[in-house]
Amino acid sequence: MLSLTALVFLPLVGMLVCWLLPSKHARVVNIVFSALVLLLSVALWAQMDVGAAGYQFEQTASWLPGIVSEEGIQYHVGLDGLGLSLVLLTAFVTLVSAIASWKIEKQAKGYHMMFLLLLTGMLGVFVALDLFLFYVFWEIMLLPMYFLIGIWGGPRRQYAAIKFFLYTLFGSVLLLAGVILVVLKTGSWSIPEITAQAQAALAAGEAGGILGSTGLCLAAFIGMFIGFAVKVPCFPFHTWLPDAHVEAPTPISMILAGVLLKMGGYGLIRIAYPFFPQAAVDSGLVISILSTIAIVYGAFVAMAQTDFKRMIAYSSVSHMGFVTLGLAAGTAWGINGAMYMMLAHGTISAMLFMIVGVIYDRAHHREIAKFGGLAWVMPKYFILASIAFFASLGLPGGSGFIAEITTFVGAFNGPHRIWAIISLLGVVLTAAYYLRTLAKVFLLDTPEVYKDAAKFPDLSAREYAILVPLALVTIYMGIVPATAMDMVKGFVEGTLVPMLGQAAGGAGQ
Amino acid sequence: MDLTPIIPAIELTVGIVAVIVLDLLGRGRYPWLTTGVALLALAGAAVSACLQPAASVDGGAETVLGVLQLDRFAVVFTVFCCLTGFVTVLATVRGEAFKTPGGEFLVLILSAVLGMNVLAMSVDLVMLYLAFELVSIPGYVLVAMRRADARSNEAGVKYVLFGAVSSAIMLYGLSMVVGLASGTSLAALSEAIAAGHVTSQPLWIVACVMIFAGFAFKISAVPFHFWAPDVYAGAPASVAGFLAVASKAAGFLALIRVVGATTSGPVAAAADPLTAFLPDGGVLIGIIAIAAVLTMTVGNLAALRQGEIKRLLAWSSIAHAGYLLLLLATWSETSIAALLFYLVAYLFMNLAAFLIAGIVIRECGTGELSALRGMGRRNVGISVALAIVMFSLTGLPPFFGFAAKLQLFYAVFDRGYVWLGVIGLVNGVISLYYYARVLSYLWFHDAEEEPAPSLSLSLFDKVFCAVLVLPILGFGLFWADAWGWAQEVARDFPLIGGGR
Repeated sequence: MLSLTALVFLPLVGMLVCWLLPSKHARVVNIVFSALVLLLSVALWAQMDVGAAGYQFEQTASWLPGIVSEEGIQYHVGLDGLGLSLVLLTAFVTLVSAIASWKIEKQAKGYHMMFLLLLTGMLGVFVALDLFLFYVFWEIMLLPMYFLIGIWGGPRRQYAAIKFFLYTLFGSVLLLAGVILVVLKTGSWSIPEITAQAQAALAAGEAGGILGSTGLCLAAFIGMFIGFAVKVPCFPFHTWLPDAHVEAPTPISMILAGVLLKMGGYGLIRIAYPFFPQAAVDSGLVISILSTIAIVYGAFVAMAQTDFKRMIAYSSVSHMGFVTLGLAAGTAWGINGAMYMMLAHGTISAMLFMIVGVIYDRAHHREIAKFGGLAWVMPKYFILASIAFFASLGLPGGSGFIAEITTFVGAFNGPHRIWAIISLLGVVLTAAYYLRTLAKVFLLDTPEVYKDAAKFPDLSAREYAILVPLALVTIYMGIVPATAMDMVKGFVEGTLVPMLGQAAGGAGQ
Repeated sequence: MDLTPIIPAIELTVGIVAVIVLDLLGRGRYPWLTTGVALLALAGAAVSACLQPAASVDGGAETVLGVLQLDRFAVVFTVFCCLTGFVTVLATVRGEAFKTPGGEFLVLILSAVLGMNVLAMSVDLVMLYLAFELVSIPGYVLVAMRRADARSNEAGVKYVLFGAVSSAIMLYGLSMVVGLASGTSLAALSEAIAAGHVTSQPLWIVACVMIFAGFAFKISAVPFHFWAPDVYAGAPASVAGFLAVASKAAGFLALIRVVGATTSGPVAAAADPLTAFLPDGGVLIGIIAIAAVLTMTVGNLAALRQGEIKRLLAWSSIAHAGYLLLLLATWSETSIAALLFYLVAYLFMNLAAFLIAGIVIRECGTGELSALRGMGRRNVGISVALAIVMFSLTGLPPFFGFAAKLQLFYAVFDRGYVWLGVIGLVNGVISLYYYARVLSYLWFHDAEEEPAPSLSLSLFDKVFCAVLVLPILGFGLFWADAWGWAQEVARDFPLIGGGR
């Protein structure tokens, strides 16, 4: 039973069960299957040799033979530490989001079926080792997401849904162009095999890389980079994010921020960078500049928001800038930090969106300026919100701190030091807007409305069940970074950093 | 003379005569009988095309009267058109136009299919032109069949005027080619071009432009596409589907034959993929490349603003013609296979789309997209089917449309024309907007907003939809065999002229 195939397709079984049972049971089915996925992924973790190089639990089956090469497209899945860390994150965030979906009443059956389909897509992306399979999972995710935002979202949901869909598809087709070029020249669909070819090309000192031409490599890298950058999202491809995150229902915002954004970073680390190390190193400066803009500009825009949820959405743009900043540095610290940022941001942002959801359920608005003094009426909520806020602004003890300091050290020691220094401004700004919001919403002058404890009950058991685990993981990751760091190290330090180092060395000579 | 290659054509002709006679004798009182005979003729033609002895298919050299030749390509297209005709007849039985199609409708569909069958086998320019007209003329009448409907009449007139002009232009172009090649057969043309004294003449460029104009009308390529939206909107949905699929496929088939005769082999792969501009393969290929880019871009951009489903599908089919033209512009064995593969995907997607459009129009009395409002909640099955079709048309996995697009762009990138591929891919993104907009009407409106009546669907409707939609899913996940088969057919296709 303990196989990746079972893990990936378990939610599809759940979808079928959902379909067969009456609508009122759909939410239970969703939670049960999300919990099973988490259990299964923890079981995989227990069985896995996390530090080992290469992929474990590999499964290969012939799928579409004869497409391009003799063996063609294969059903090929496998897991290494890097994939495991994101699979665990996905399973965890999805389970808490499934619990957060309890109160969805509109067309509940459809909602939970789409939710489970989304889970299959996300898990599939992190375990696929065949480019075609990867792309299929990557795209399959868009379909449920389009409906989840479009049907169950806020007032501007139609606009947000189509904008999300168009942006990501635009990225996807550029990614597809890159994939076709790679497959055409290498004759393989297998991600590990193409990575090996790229390593061989580096070792042989071939400037042309896997495509046999520097220009073509750069073009394919740019295509793939944009494809993944839309998801990350990098400046200037981030404009879909505030709309999608704000209009999506709370649990979907949690998944969007907690998991979907990580697929972009994952794609860069697993595919774009190892396939085109030379092009990646050559575009390091541009990517550093874009990242710094994302960090600082994202923080400024977040500061200017009056809508609570929108502010958090922009804080994601700012934080995800650290991911690309660390990557662009090409150092072990930088890329480890980028990965850690993704994991940390996964839980923190899910928590933040839940916190907005909690208050929106009670107050029916999200205007920061209209809130005040909530700490007195909802003290437990205040404590959990503070944990999330402080973790997000990078206070030591939370996972955000580890992520930021690691990324920063990595970027500082990389070739684009000046941009790393400028990006520190973002950290200060982040602290400013979080502290200001915390003070305004929870501490300062209380309007009469918020003194009515009947209208503003403190957290319910269900909300505890969502926020407390997220908080615990966030703190755990802040105190014991080694658990998650060891997972990502294997691929980053074993494969990617040496490749980038070689490429950078070659350019220097 | 061996007449086996024209057995399907004979069967179709017998079917036509039988339908006319039965309709006259029965004074139109037995529509099920005439419909049955027509379906039988179509099925029979498809089956006997498949059952052609291998010798007469693979031999290739043997021709009937020197103008018809049954190669595997012709077999495939015959089956393709018979299938489309079959679906169209069935869809019309239940469609919005006439509950029971009259005998004349069946005769016209059968004649058009007969024309396509002959077209598929033509290796002679005169025969090609005659077959082309045999496809077109029933089309004009089919569009205008709803005599009481002013829009239908207008569409018919528009179609016949545009058609007549473009036919004339094409015929003029063909006459120049016949003069240049000093013969009417494609083999003669191919030889003359190989000898090198044709392509150097200025007249050749004029002839190419004119011939392409004729084909462009048939496949609704820019700038000869203006008729399509009006005609599709005026025609019954099932007929529009027939025109969009069979008529377009026929145009592509003839274009493949002619391009094959004028090129001396595959388009050379670009030396530098990043700077390569127009494919290097002669005047006709160059014209086609530009037309491809224009067609898909104009089609997609115009479709963005459509509010009526048949009009939207018309512009979408224009855009798809652009994608298909990309494959002719990057002429090679792989691209022929991809073209065939794409056409099969296109067949299922468009027939299903027009079928569902027909059902909606039948039930709601209008094809406005706003009539779809809230349908997703009331008619879940057909809405999901429509969603699959729309996503497949966009080219999203795991649907057939994606597999077809992957092979299409693979073939384009294989020749090294990166910019053509990227423009095509970005066009797919544009198209998402209008396909997804259809779906947003189905689901994204709250129940309070003017609840529309539920569609009453018969079991026949549901099964019919399912039969057309299931292949879109099935081939979307498992298309290796289908692709292998397309490659095999393409391998048999003589890249150079009809003579080889």
